[in-house]
Amino acid sequence: MTPEAPFEVAESEQRGVPVLGVRGEIDVATSPELGDLLTGLITAGTELVIVDLTEVTFIDSTGLGVLVGAVGDMRARGGDLRLVVTQPQIIKLLELTGLDEVFTVMSDASDAVRS
Amino acid sequence: MTSPMSVPGSVGAHGLSRVELSLPADPQMLFLARMAAAAVATRAELSYEQVEDLRLAIDELCVALLDSRSGAGQIALLFQWDAEGTLDVVGTLVPDGDPSPSTNGKAPERTGPPLSYELSQRILDALVDDHGADAIGGVHRAWLRMRRQELSV
Repeated sequence: MTPEAPFEVAESEQRGVPVLGVRGEIDVATSPELGDLLTGLITAGTELVIVDLTEVTFIDSTGLGVLVGAVGDMRARGGDLRLVVTQPQIIKLLELTGLDEVFTVMSDASDAVRS
Repeated sequence: MTSPMSVPGSVGAHGLSRVELSLPADPQMLFLARMAAAAVATRAELSYEQVEDLRLAIDELCVALLDSRSGAGQIALLFQWDAEGTLDVVGTLVPDGDPSPSTNGKAPERTGPPLSYELSQRILDALVDDHGADAIGGVHRAWLRMRRQELSV
């Protein structure tokens, strides 16, 4: 059985690019908090955001919906949102929903900032 | 969305294992449904990958029920599986007050974001063998079926 990991988002910057390091489970209860943070960055005019999901143990359709909405908003403003993913279960989920074709997915936050 | 399958309870009781869970229809409580799903999947001898798949599928089933609620209530989950590795789960939204008006058996409309709903359907289509939802007499219900995948040597 997988114990519930507490949901946290750590905000940092790499080379001036905001990086949201998400930890725990992104579900219908926690995805609004992530959505609010992303909306704040988008409305502040941020051009590039990295969402680091390497410490995320679970994500469902509501979490994916928040990320898809945010990347759409970013790109409409000429920006982008990139994901950092290493968990096989999340990679599988992105593939089966076709979202691996929507997002730029990297395995390392530094690479995501530089690319 | 597929046609409704046999509802557990209408299936013969021989050789069936059964677990029932009731939890508040509250987003903060869904982790309990995921934990129960993982425990049941392990008891049903599903593979590690299928355990994770069932956790996600049960979460999506519960999200569908949460989206159809109009007030406080409970989500009742019934897990039933047999020795051959067929696992059925039925989730029912049990409102605290009078149920919402009947939709005459049609799948209830979700009030959540359309994008999340579409993603949820894609996830369930990919992870389980069958799934569906309906609302009869104002009672919202969602179900899924997963069959154990035999590991190839």
